[in-house]
Amino acid sequence: MGLVARAVEARGIPTVTVSVVRNMIEALPAPRNVLITFRLGQVFGEPGHAAQQRTVLRASLAALEEITESGGMVELPYRWKREVYEDG
Amino acid sequence: MARWWNRFQSGVYTRVHWINELYARATSGRSAEIPLPPLASPRQPLSRARVGMVTAAGLHLADQPAFDMDDPEGDASYRVIPGDVDVAALTITHDYYDHRAPDRDVNCVYPIERLRELVQVGELGAVAPRHVGMMGHLYGEQRTRLVREVADEVAGIFERDQVDLVLATPG
Repeated sequence: MGLVARAVEARGIPTVTVSVVRNMIEALPAPRNVLITFRLGQVFGEPGHAAQQRTVLRASLAALEEITESGGMVELPYRWKREVYEDG
Repeated sequence: MARWWNRFQSGVYTRVHWINELYARATSGRSAEIPLPPLASPRQPLSRARVGMVTAAGLHLADQPAFDMDDPEGDASYRVIPGDVDVAALTITHDYYDHRAPDRDVNCVYPIERLRELVQVGELGAVAPRHVGMMGHLYGEQRTRLVREVADEVAGIFERDQVDLVLATPG
């Protein structure tokens, strides 16, 4: 997705790109990168777990303001099930 | 390569994370590029932003053509997904990751219902009218097609719809 994000950002539209593979971000950074160590296929969380999905989504969108240099990355701290996901 | 073999492999590396990391390192930096652009300034605070999504999860409407799983170089084409789509109308065609979880709940990789909720409570401005489904895992000619044409076409969709922020998600 890094390549598509670069093309979108090049048109002046801000992007946030989520990935679960650190080496992928390092090899081909998108303009703004969010790393989360969840499995492929469950990047935002478990099926039916809306609070977890919302938490990861909110944190990802927040990268719009948090990353100030192109190619920058934020690493989300969530540890899959070993976490209490609550809605703010 | 037979599809069963691709599916078997994807089942393994979806569970064994370090294989993905090794794979990314081994395959990096060997094909055509789109340069990393400087950051575009946020156009709106999130509470007023129109948010679009592009996903490499192999997502499409069930009545759209599936992605081509027979070409070992992948399929660089894309499918437009309406912002107001009923999630029951969506399906995933992608042999290169285990998508049983998003088959049950597409929000695992494409959190469209979560976006709508954030709009409802005023944290986001709006959901874009059009989103884009693609598949990752592109090599050779298909990757070149993405770099030369498709990525910019996709960007044009978001530009025409005056989207303020695009969230790009993997499978």
